[in-house]
This record gives sequence, C-alpha cells and structure tokens, in this order.
Amino acid sequence: MKEWTIRIILLAALAALGFWAWSVFYPNPEKIIKKRLNEMAKAASHSSDQGLVAQAWTASSLAAYFTPDVEVTLDVPGVHHTFSGRDELMQGALAVRRAGRNLTIRLPDIKVILAPDKTSAEVYVTGEARVSGEKEVFLQELRLRLTKVKRDWLIKQVETVKTLSKGPLAPAT
Amino acid sequence: MATSNEAGPGAGWLQRVLIGRNPKRTVVRIVVLAAVSLIVFRYVLLPVRVDGGSMLPTYRENGVNLVNRLAYLFREPQRGDVVAVRLLAGGHRMYLKRIVAMPGETLVFHGGRILVNGKLLEEPYVKFPCDWEHEPVLVGPDQYYVVGDNRDNQRELHAQGRAPRALILGKVLL
Repeated sequence: MKEWTIRIILLAALAALGFWAWSVFYPNPEKIIKKRLNEMAKAASHSSDQGLVAQAWTASSLAAYFTPDVEVTLDVPGVHHTFSGRDELMQGALAVRRAGRNLTIRLPDIKVILAPDKTSAEVYVTGEARVSGEKEVFLQELRLRLTKVKRDWLIKQVETVKTLSKGPLAPAT
Repeated sequence: MATSNEAGPGAGWLQRVLIGRNPKRTVVRIVVLAAVSLIVFRYVLLPVRVDGGSMLPTYRENGVNLVNRLAYLFREPQRGDVVAVRLLAGGHRMYLKRIVAMPGETLVFHGGRILVNGKLLEEPYVKFPCDWEHEPVLVGPDQYYVVGDNRDNQRELHAQGRAPRALILGKVLL
C-alpha cells in the first residue's frame, strides 16, 4: 500500500515535470502573444529624464513589435489619426517622448483569439496610461491584429474600439 | 528558572490568542475561511475601487465597493441600477455606470436632460448637470444604455453608451 502511494506520487511528479517541460519547449501562442504585448507596453513607456539618444533608442526598439506595413487608427476625443507604416508610427512615438513627460503604459487585460491556422490572431486589449502631472488614468480599448512572421508575432493593425457605443443605431429597414 | 516560570503563562496566553487551543483546528478554520473568501470575492461579491469621478457624487473617487455578480441571475437589470460593465478584453478594469434606458427604448439628450421614448427621465441622483444635446439613440434588443451620474464634462469625454447585456457583470451593492 505504501509502495503504491510512493509510485503514484512519483508518477504525478513525473507527469507535472513533463507538462512543465512541454510548456517550456512548446509554449502556448496565447502566452507568447500576451508576454510580447506586455513587453511592448514596457518599451512604449518612458520617463522624462531620458536623454535624446536614449529616447531615440527606446523608440526604435518599439519597431521590433510591428510589421513594416502596420496601420494604427486612433479615434479618441481630440485625436483622429491613422499612422500608415512603421516609420510614421516610430516618428509619432518619438514625438510623444519628446513631450518630456513620464508615461507608464500597462495592459491589465489581454484577450487573444487565435485563427484556426495559428498564424494570425485578433487581440483585444485594455490599455492603461498614466502621465506625470495628470490625476486621471487614461483607459483605452484596442483591437490588434497580429501575424506570425517566422517565430515572432508582429502587430499588423491597431484600432481603437469601445465597449460602450453611443452612435445612433439605425433601425432595420 | 524563575524567568521561565514567569514567561510560561504569558507565552501560553499569546499562543492561545494567535493559534488557539487546538492548532489543527485553527489550520482547518484558516483554510476554510481562505477558500470561502476566495469564492465569495471572486464569483459573488467582486471588490472594486472607483477610479475617476464619472459617478460623483454617488460614488466618490478611490472609494471601495462591491459588485453583486448574482444580482441578475433571476431577474434582468432595471432602470436606475448602478452596474459594473466589463470591457471587451477582460474584467480587470470595468465601467461603473447607471442604466438609464432599457432594451428597445429610444434615448435622447436634450438640454442636458434625458428623454426616454419621448418622456423626461427624472434623475434625482444627478447633482452636476450638463447641457448635452444628442441625436436619438435606439437601444438594441440585448443592450442597456448606461451613463455616469456626473455629467459636468464634455459629452465626448464621458464614457457612456449601449452596453451589451453579456458584459454587465453585476449590480453595485452599496
């Protein structure tokens, strides 16, 4: 009886070890995407005491998260703009850094919907931005489309979305 | 020897207060309490902290509240209920808003007052009124129109609109 108990415990430990090894060598795409987006949020955050070279360096490091033809459509109060291409987006990122305020970006919620072929994904994120000198925390919901290029997941499209829609809804005719 | 005799009853009293007369039973109590707390505060009463002033003066900034996730188990949300609406990506951040229009109703802001199906909605909870003008909005069959109590800002900056029923997490308890 005691021997059986030890065997069961050993088997369970072995199964747990196998599961852990499997998840390390073959990570779940959802986990990879979430990790990558959190890294991107960290790269997009910056502090005002960064020098010009550091600003340019960290802004350029953001480029690694996007495809060259990325399209970012922002539709928020006061800003209606579409960035077409990675270069234009990086210029925008650099301009934000030069505004000289601390910016901390976090993504408290990330929902990943993988395509059946697992080479692309639609991702809903809640972005939270804290700007130095501002009391309010800015919340923004975004829909991202990611594509797998070789082993990396790159952002191909970003657009703002809203849970609460307030536009008129035309009745069905 | 005398010192240990003096410390003995003191230590025993402290032990009784901290871990009780029967340590095994105390451990079981702690485990049960932790499990019950986890279930209650995750699936029944969701603790939330109010961030922002869109529900002033009903709910002040940084105030802590509870969302009753079972409130709409056997009945549907009602007009006037303050509800938590989760965002599309998940439930770590959510909107705290008041339901002002029900499914199928038409809502319009005229001179800062809400008209639902052409009738003026009495809103005694609004202490910071507005002058919003808004074209009629038809609320869909499985949606509720939600808005904050504090209307003292631009309409564009105030998060409001039709919330799908599936995203309404529950009713604010207090």
